[in-house]
Amino acid sequence: MATGAAARSFEAQERRFALTLVAPALVLLLVTTTAPLVYLLWTSLHRLDLGMPWLSGFAGLGNYAKMGSDPRFWNSLGLTAIYTISTVVAQVVLGLGVALLVLQIPKGQGLLRVAAILPIVLAPVVVGLFWRTLVLSPDVGLVDLVTRTLGLGSHNWLGDPQLALISVIAIHTWQWTPFAFLVLLASLATLPPDIYEAARLDRAGAWQRFRHITLPLLRPAIVVVVILRMMTALSAFAAIFAATGGGPGSATEILNLYAYRTSFSELNLGYGASLAVVLMAITLAISYVMFRLRRSRR
Amino acid sequence: MIVAKPHPIRAIAVPVLTGAALAIWAFPVLWALLTSFKTERDVLAYPPSLIFTPTLANYHDVLFGATSIVPNLWSSVIVAVGATFFTVVFAVPAAYALARLRYPAKRASGFYVLATQMLPPVGLIIPYYLVLQRVGGLDTYFGLILIDLTLTLPFAIWLMVSYFEDVPLEMEEAALLDRAGRFGALWHVILPQVRGGIAVTTIFVFLNTWNEFLFAVVIGGNRVRPVTVAMFNFMSVEQTQWARLAAGATLAMLPVILIGLFAQRHIVKGLTVGAVKGGGRR
Amino acid sequence: MSADATTRTGRPGNASRGSIRLEGIVKRHGATTVLHDVDLAIEPGEFFVLLGPSGSGKTTTLRILAGLESVSAGSVTMDGEDVTTTPPGERDVAMVFQSYALYPHMSVAANIGFPLRMVKVPAAEVARAVEAAATKVGIQHLLARTPGQLSGGQQQRCALARAIVREPRLFLLDEPLSNLDAKLRLETRLELHSLQRNLGVTTVYVTHDQEEAMTLADRIAVFMDGRIVQVGTPREVFATPQTRAVAGFIGTPPMNLLEGVWQGDTVTVAGHAFPVGAHAAAPRDVTLGVRPGDVRVADGGLPAHVERVEDLGDTAVLSYRAAGALVKQKTDRTVVREGDDVTLGFAPGSAHLFDRTTGARL
Repeated sequence: MATGAAARSFEAQERRFALTLVAPALVLLLVTTTAPLVYLLWTSLHRLDLGMPWLSGFAGLGNYAKMGSDPRFWNSLGLTAIYTISTVVAQVVLGLGVALLVLQIPKGQGLLRVAAILPIVLAPVVVGLFWRTLVLSPDVGLVDLVTRTLGLGSHNWLGDPQLALISVIAIHTWQWTPFAFLVLLASLATLPPDIYEAARLDRAGAWQRFRHITLPLLRPAIVVVVILRMMTALSAFAAIFAATGGGPGSATEILNLYAYRTSFSELNLGYGASLAVVLMAITLAISYVMFRLRRSRR
Repeated sequence: MIVAKPHPIRAIAVPVLTGAALAIWAFPVLWALLTSFKTERDVLAYPPSLIFTPTLANYHDVLFGATSIVPNLWSSVIVAVGATFFTVVFAVPAAYALARLRYPAKRASGFYVLATQMLPPVGLIIPYYLVLQRVGGLDTYFGLILIDLTLTLPFAIWLMVSYFEDVPLEMEEAALLDRAGRFGALWHVILPQVRGGIAVTTIFVFLNTWNEFLFAVVIGGNRVRPVTVAMFNFMSVEQTQWARLAAGATLAMLPVILIGLFAQRHIVKGLTVGAVKGGGRR
Repeated sequence: MSADATTRTGRPGNASRGSIRLEGIVKRHGATTVLHDVDLAIEPGEFFVLLGPSGSGKTTTLRILAGLESVSAGSVTMDGEDVTTTPPGERDVAMVFQSYALYPHMSVAANIGFPLRMVKVPAAEVARAVEAAATKVGIQHLLARTPGQLSGGQQQRCALARAIVREPRLFLLDEPLSNLDAKLRLETRLELHSLQRNLGVTTVYVTHDQEEAMTLADRIAVFMDGRIVQVGTPREVFATPQTRAVAGFIGTPPMNLLEGVWQGDTVTVAGHAFPVGAHAAAPRDVTLGVRPGDVRVADGGLPAHVERVEDLGDTAVLSYRAAGALVKQKTDRTVVREGDDVTLGFAPGSAHLFDRTTGARL
């Protein structure tokens, strides 16, 4: 350190300035995230039933124990896994596919980029609403119109448990694939053309070029897209809630929704809190793993 | 750019598939727009007609009728503008400090900001609800804006950090030598350099807060009811009044669609910057 | 700028302003020591050059003078005042960066006037000073433009104008000519020289180009591996380099260095003895240094094979292979051609001797 640390010293000045700048945001975050988190954990250790207030009291790990034998919980866990994995995979595959297609029509890129923006800027709740009414309604929805014209008949897309799950997966994929598309398109545009020329001179076919050159170079972008999309899928709420409310029954009740319904529909906040804690743990674990993966790839 | 060899099948398949993507993504919005000008009867007609007599009745109802969404639009404006303003005011200085300055526990604070991005909203809404209920903070703009900040602040900070890192260090040093002082250097020299970044951040934060639903529906009430909540209620009440629903949805989403169309390049840049340079959400 | 007394450099200047002392400067970066015990005394009005290869510590020293880097030990004194921990903006020091670091969103006039505006100089005064500074560097007609609209040379002048407008006690220049093309570099070098003469401000200039150093400096400090190995006027450094490293660095082309044994009055290189005009107390291993300008084609000397003749018009640089090494000669008369075999020698007085192991001058 410098000899004679005067209060005016350059480093002390810098330190003071930095702390003034960063403190407000940090304090705000502390108050709005960490404090509530602690309270959430605390709540999860209680029985807190606004519908039956006389039962409220300290419950220790009782809520968590109950979770173990709660079929609805395990159902939501399974649904979360299916939902997250299928939407993320679909988004990356479709997004990459469209990006590759678009690269071959330079003129179409502008138009497609504008079209891609639209699903992303819409509110998920409105998207869910829209699909529920205009797209997936039996008989008159867009999808049914198509299937009827094709002779595949009419279906209850949101009323049938299996179809409902597929439907909400489709909705989420529809809304967020453009994100993957835009990021991967930008990434593809930065790839140096020389190596492709070299590869073609080496008589590598299109698929080989893709597998051995494009994909490895795209890996960092794909990893980032996967991480971000995973986070969104784990916390997806509004679209599903608007489209199915979590139903029929619990057919589309991912953990997120289960926690919400338990807390605000059934007013069982203690148990809802514990569900939220479990979801939080899962999210943190996954993001930790993903970030480690990303770091080791660099 | 990959240049493909001309290939007969490819020449047809590529435009067709691309056109399909275009249609799938753009069509729903256009279809909703179309529906909003139909009468309820025309909506339910089968086969659906593209030719019909357009009417403004739905928009009239939705704007001036008993179930007008104008108060909801106002609500959304207050929440979105408020959250955007406070996010920018808090995030920009913090991002500069993280990007450029040295201070104790800097790495820890960086990790902390990153970690807060990982919290699922439902985990926050439960304690928030309980606390706000106790202090009478439910159904207040302060309460909703405050919790929205937990979503927007970490993301805004990380986005701005990457923009600050792009400013050449020597420019900052030159400003310090030119006797601008730390604050002067930031204000006169560095902030003008990241104007683009601030614009992108503002757009993203506005979009995310305008479209936010979970917090709005739990914290809001009769006074604070943004359009997202209004639309949700709309649907439950107006079961098959789809034309009005479409009109309402179009109006509710009009600001964000306009932003999307006009600031399209900014948004794409923001997505790629945020994605490529260190984890950001959305 | 008042022209009180003339400084030791014989130039007009404020004799009481701009004396710089660096004492015992040590700079550590984690486990590595970047600067070892640097001592410098710079007189007011002096054009002082820090010369050395990349990574030798010269830029770090400059940045320490600017206040942009902290020191691990030692002190920086300006005009008797200890400024070791003083922030850069309070040292009354101006700097021209290698990248110029102009503010792209401001006009040239605003760039130049920025340091004055920052200390609340009245607008009229600022305008006058900006005009004057711009005229001194010849860009007064570009004041309305932005840096992006200027050529490299114009940008550099803008950076200069920004530095001189505030009449600081010290100018720091970090390789300001390295981004210019060769011809512009030579022109600008001359202009810089006369500008500094006019203003009489103490200037510390960093470069790795020894030709630049030789033409511009009043005194040079040669840096190698984080240490100063020699301080002196260009003539001193050229004529009496203190170490083999310095000798091999100065000069275009640099001094020829050959291994030999010094015994009696001669140095034996590859079996040939050359008189060197100095007597060795005991036989020792040395490195013999001969400048290309001092190499002669002489009878009975070191056998050499002419590998290349580079005819530059009025001088020629010849490359020989002799004693297993490459020897260069600079001469204005070419009598040999490529492929010839000749013998080389030199005047005894023009030899430089360095200890083989330490590299120190003998």
